Amino acid sequence: MSVHAIAEKVAAGGRVGFDEACLLYREAPTHLLGTLADAIRARRHPERIVTYIIDRNVNYTNVCVARCSFCAFYRHVGSPEGYVLSFEEIFQKIDETIEVGGEQLLLQGGHNPDLPLEWYEDLFRAVKARYPRFRLHALSPPEVVHLSRLAKLPVEAVIDRLITAGLDSIPGGGAEILVDRVRKLLNCYNKATADEWIGVMRAAHRAGLRTTATMMYGTVETPEERLEHMFRVRGLQDETGGFTAFIAWSYQPEHTELSGVEATGVEYLRTLATARIVLDNVDNLQSSWVTQGGKVGQLSLAFGANDMGSVMIEENVVRAAGASYCMDEIEIVTNIENAGFAPRRRNMHYDLLGEPIFRERAIPRRFGLAVAKDAGTALMPDELSGYAARSRSAREQRRAPGRPAQPS
Amino acid sequence: MATVLGEVSSQVLAGQPIPAATLETLWSEASDLVALGMVADEARRKRHGSRTTFVRVAEIPLEAVAHVPIPPAAGEVRLVGTPASPGDAVAAVREAVRRAAGIPVTAFTLAALSRMAGGADALRELVTDLTEAGLAAVAEATVDEHDDLRRDVEAVRDAGAAIARFTIRRWPAGSPVPTLQDVRRLQKTSGVVRSFAPLAREIDHARPTTGYDDVKVVALARLALHDVPSIQVDWRLYGPKLAQVALLFGADDVDGVQADDEAPHGPRRAPLEEILRNIRAAALDPVERDGRRAVREA
Ligand code: SF4
Repeated sequence: MSVHAIAEKVAAGGRVGFDEACLLYREAPTHLLGTLADAIRARRHPERIVTYIIDRNVNYTNVCVARCSFCAFYRHVGSPEGYVLSFEEIFQKIDETIEVGGEQLLLQGGHNPDLPLEWYEDLFRAVKARYPRFRLHALSPPEVVHLSRLAKLPVEAVIDRLITAGLDSIPGGGAEILVDRVRKLLNCYNKATADEWIGVMRAAHRAGLRTTATMMYGTVETPEERLEHMFRVRGLQDETGGFTAFIAWSYQPEHTELSGVEATGVEYLRTLATARIVLDNVDNLQSSWVTQGGKVGQLSLAFGANDMGSVMIEENVVRAAGASYCMDEIEIVTNIENAGFAPRRRNMHYDLLGEPIFRERAIPRRFGLAVAKDAGTALMPDELSGYAARSRSAREQRRAPGRPAQPS
Repeated sequence: MATVLGEVSSQVLAGQPIPAATLETLWSEASDLVALGMVADEARRKRHGSRTTFVRVAEIPLEAVAHVPIPPAAGEVRLVGTPASPGDAVAAVREAVRRAAGIPVTAFTLAALSRMAGGADALRELVTDLTEAGLAAVAEATVDEHDDLRRDVEAVRDAGAAIARFTIRRWPAGSPVPTLQDVRRLQKTSGVVRSFAPLAREIDHARPTTGYDDVKVVALARLALHDVPSIQVDWRLYGPKLAQVALLFGADDVDGVQADDEAPHGPRRAPLEEILRNIRAAALDPVERDGRRAVREA
């Protein structure tokens, strides 16, 4: 089939097969991909609404045994720079989030062997006791796999316990590229294979949770492997319908072991548009302005995206790898309206919550991102002494009277 | 909107100017951004095909002309700053030309030279002196910085000199079409506009332009200025991502690529590799040029 014939099929609402998608992605002019993706976006969202969420991306620990080669965020077990957030610090972040109109934490972190399942349960319960309406979008599939190994429990049981404790939904992080050849090269095969990632999402959907799916591209994968990733997501979505959104973002090479270069802006727009074409069963596509910057982030809205993602209050992972874009609600809304769309706040389920909050009440403007740990605070909170540690360094530290503090 | 774009496409293919009223319609319709880009891309391809030029620029502050190292990889040495007197300007150009060892030297804004000269005849004499000192071109004519742009541009033309690029400091509020029409008229009567850079040189950090604004103004410039050879974007000012996307919305030339080949993050992230990679990733063919617009051999 020619590019032209496939384009006609897509324009008529047809579903592309793998080979057709490969041909489009490799050979279709960028404008054509944009036109097709924009038409699909318009069919799915004819009301010309573009959504965004006010939430906070909190990384509860940077200690991680997975050591993915593309990650600039993690610290090894026993590192003097390793941290875990205290419950009190997390409450404070929630308070600040509520202050700017947020209703959710995106809570993810490293695979810390010294945080047992009970710590997560206690945290979730404590959050829900204090903030009953606040939502926890937490623990990407590899973190769930890690907890299942740590607790020696099946994934389903871990998810059940986390739901009981207060988990509302699961973010689609840790997917990278859902092809094991790539995962082995990126040293993220052991944290979760492609099947394990899909398995956690299947279990979560069956347990009644909605989740997102992500794709980090631009490392060692081929264009065909990017599409294989999209087709795995599409396949599970056909089965469960549990994904609310798909988010593609480009690998950020700064300070990583893998190093290399970042995929270009045009490659991002082509990938996004192709995702809109392939993922005909996923309603929402997010713009990754965090990796692409506000300008290309906004242009995403012409290439298939219908959501501007999160008004970032805090971000640690992408920033560690070099990207440091920041937009508050006013800027996000300006970008949406400038592109000719109506901005609406949403929750994780993509229920519309209303008009921009800054038009309802005064909200402090934010021109920079908060960090995980404020200077001068203890890197390892005292409350950890109540939990079993696996590593020797953590066991010794939990016995010791004082704890190292973040240099101010 | 689809009909308007269809008409514009036919006018582009026939090499006809696009009427101002049509340009205004294109500007006010945000919803068909990709379609607008496609028509601007047609106009760009009609003139340049997939050929995309770029220039590696060594910017030399005036006061440091005697000692700032000039990277040999530069394709253009650009003197920046405002000289105190015509004599200083000529001396600085002479020194830059001596040190540039054959790399074309461009210098100054036309507005600064005009202010210094104080009249058309004096400006023509000054530009003649600069050319005799070895100047390849006046670096920049900022279209919104002149009391009488046409007079100044004609003085340069009459001196037999060139202006490397026409730029805009800041777009007026509202539509860019009237300003683009002015540039079009200037080109029609003077023929000196080799290149227009439509992205504003001055960035208001409190109210930055959006990605939509930027690529729309690039597309509009390409469509409005049908007899201006080149539409240029600046690599450093707007960043690689936006500059690369602008190449799909009508731009064909990339200015301001870093000239030194320092690559602290590895050879694949050296400036030359970056620009080549970005142009190729947009399915375009990179061609390096110098400050006189001559193709540089690989
Ligand atoms: S990406 Fe996540 S799992 Fe991998 S090393 Fe970083 S923190 Fe650990």
